Amino acid sequence: MTVSAVWPFSPGVLPSTFIVVGSWDNNVRCWEVQQDGQTIPKAQQTHTGPVMDVAWSDDGTKVFTASCDKSAKMWDLGSNQFVQVAQHDAPIKTCHWVKAPNYNCLMTGSWDKTLKFWDLRSSNPMLVINLPERCYCADVVYPMAVVGTAGRQVIIYTLETEPREFKRIESPLKFQHRCVSIFPDKKTSAPTGFALGSIEGRVAIHYVNPQNPKDNFTFKCHRSNGTTGGVQDIYAVNGIAFHPVHGTLATVGSDGRFSFWDKDARTKLKTSEQLDQPISSCGFNAQGNIFGYASSYDWSKGHEGYDAQKKPHLFLRSCYEELKPSQKKS
Amino acid sequence: MGRKKKKQMKPWCWYCNREFDDEKILIQHQKAKHFKCHICHKKLYTGPGLSIHCMQVHKEKVDKVPNALPGRHNIDIEIYGMEGIPEEDMKAHEKEKAGKDGVQPKKSETEAGPSTYTTPGLLPTPGTMPPGMPPMPTTTASGMAPMPHMMHGHMGPVPPMGPMGPMGPMGHMPPMGHMVPNGPMPPMPMQMMPSTMSRMPTNMPVKPLFPAAGQTKVTLSSAPVGPDFKPTMSMPGMSSASGMVRPTFPAYSTSSASSVSMATSISAKATISAAPTIKKPESSSGMAIKLVHPDEDISLEEMRASLPKYQMMMEGNRAPTSVVSPMPATSMASPQMSMPAGMMSGPPRSMSMPMPMQPGAPMMMMPPRPGMPPMPPMAAVPQSMPMSMAYPYPPGMMRPPMSQPGCRF
Repeated sequence: MTVSAVWPFSPGVLPSTFIVVGSWDNNVRCWEVQQDGQTIPKAQQTHTGPVMDVAWSDDGTKVFTASCDKSAKMWDLGSNQFVQVAQHDAPIKTCHWVKAPNYNCLMTGSWDKTLKFWDLRSSNPMLVINLPERCYCADVVYPMAVVGTAGRQVIIYTLETEPREFKRIESPLKFQHRCVSIFPDKKTSAPTGFALGSIEGRVAIHYVNPQNPKDNFTFKCHRSNGTTGGVQDIYAVNGIAFHPVHGTLATVGSDGRFSFWDKDARTKLKTSEQLDQPISSCGFNAQGNIFGYASSYDWSKGHEGYDAQKKPHLFLRSCYEELKPSQKKS
Repeated sequence: MGRKKKKQMKPWCWYCNREFDDEKILIQHQKAKHFKCHICHKKLYTGPGLSIHCMQVHKEKVDKVPNALPGRHNIDIEIYGMEGIPEEDMKAHEKEKAGKDGVQPKKSETEAGPSTYTTPGLLPTPGTMPPGMPPMPTTTASGMAPMPHMMHGHMGPVPPMGPMGPMGPMGHMPPMGHMVPNGPMPPMPMQMMPSTMSRMPTNMPVKPLFPAAGQTKVTLSSAPVGPDFKPTMSMPGMSSASGMVRPTFPAYSTSSASSVSMATSISAKATISAAPTIKKPESSSGMAIKLVHPDEDISLEEMRASLPKYQMMMEGNRAPTSVVSPMPATSMASPQMSMPAGMMSGPPRSMSMPMPMQPGAPMMMMPPRPGMPPMPPMAAVPQSMPMSMAYPYPPGMMRPPMSQPGCRF
């Protein structure tokens, strides 16, 4: 079974590190990662459809899961209860925990073209925002939320006092959006922009209010070098994660590689060797010393590319040094 | 791509016609793209430099500058940044820039299939061309079309534009003919227009042009607090506009009511059937390219979820309509996350993933850093999980960090 696009580490508030992974086999699994790097399976829960996304609550006591069964559930890790907290008319693609000073809620984005906000106490959403298209990817860093949809649309929301639309931007990319990740301002550490990945091996770095239009740019990634057969293969960018300390970023792609980048120096820090399967998702732990990524088939080559013999794998990598920003001044 | 319009000439690369903001970057680009030795990846400084390097070090003859446009392969011309560009080309480029300023989109590659892609190797190299001499008219590439920058590229002899549609008997055009927008060259617009026009729609096949048209607004439109994400910026227009219902687009604010319940007709299934096809990506290097993605423009997840296997699964157990169900979804109510014995240990069961948690697998020049609090010795720690330890590559096989140096974003 394939790992779905999920790789969250527990928030830094917990004494130890946990990872939760959702999968196409409907299961959500939780491991503890110990100081010495060992992992201990902790628990698992099951949806009635593939799990598309998982998110942690800010205090690390709960995990939220979004599923193709059109529901999102809350997993209370203390009591191990697993209850439905959200409902859509189509599979739910994303879920994020929103922690604002005056409210808390779960944001769910679905292929039913809505974004819903749930306060977990009511079976009705506290707010529904219609999307122009199906939700493909989203990220939340209070007070900012970004949603990328089908039809190459990007909508930015502000969550201050309550969620509302802030801005729609013309997509910096020409192909289907696949993943998005918000990054903070270096100095203020308030969210200031986002990286948007598309299926055409390209990532856009986009500031919400760029000081200079040239601050926004796109870069190519996850492409073969074309030396074999003279054809360059272009792969989807499956995930983007920003390093919590250095502000550098990692991208993973259908080509089975991960790359580390410094968006400010606009350089690549590193590219991995190629795995035999696509990397479907990635993430950093709160301290930024572990990079986790999941290798599993992502359907980018359709049915033909599926090989039941190839099992999905999760990898943890010590990464603190590798993601240090580029020293070169350009 | 938000192309900047600047009156001032920007540094540009003679080999590929790309523009740069800074000559320094241009030089970096040239070293990485055009003057890099394909054998040892050493970056040389000029075309002749590369040629000599390959000859002397690798005993190989390099007769073309890599990644160059047709007709710009000449390795004997010594160009460094903006220095050494043949006068004619310089003028032509300037004229081109001045002429087309904002008239047509810069990117006008064709979508024509790979058959028309230029194989650079097929192009006749203009033999020994001293700098300052216009390229020979022999640079007729059958498939010039997909070259991205050709529009403002070729100076002097214009290649006969083979497969470019309604191009009549115009074999050669006078130099720079098409750089005059409405110039005295009637066939030119005719020839350019169809190709650009026909491509325009395909470039954005999916959606109506701008999302603002699809404006939907939330019921809650509260006090116009400036929700600036960036405190350092003050954008008064922005913040007030976002607080209220966009005064800028009054026409669109009609749909501001939020519909709590979506029409059930919008199911993922319905949309999938109408999925448009993804357009072919454009090659900027002349290399044939292939997008590794199914043809339909829907997400991989949608595609996969539409497989019978998952459809059945989800039809089978429709989610209940009541949202908060007080019942725990599973009977696994053991407190404190204790795992029932055997739940995830032991060999993977048929439905569960084998998960080799691989702590910091192939550590590369990564000594555990002292003072780095958690998980110091991460390298190759024995597994606690009795699962297959699949190291995808042996340690030490990692590429060097900058495996593709000079990669420009």
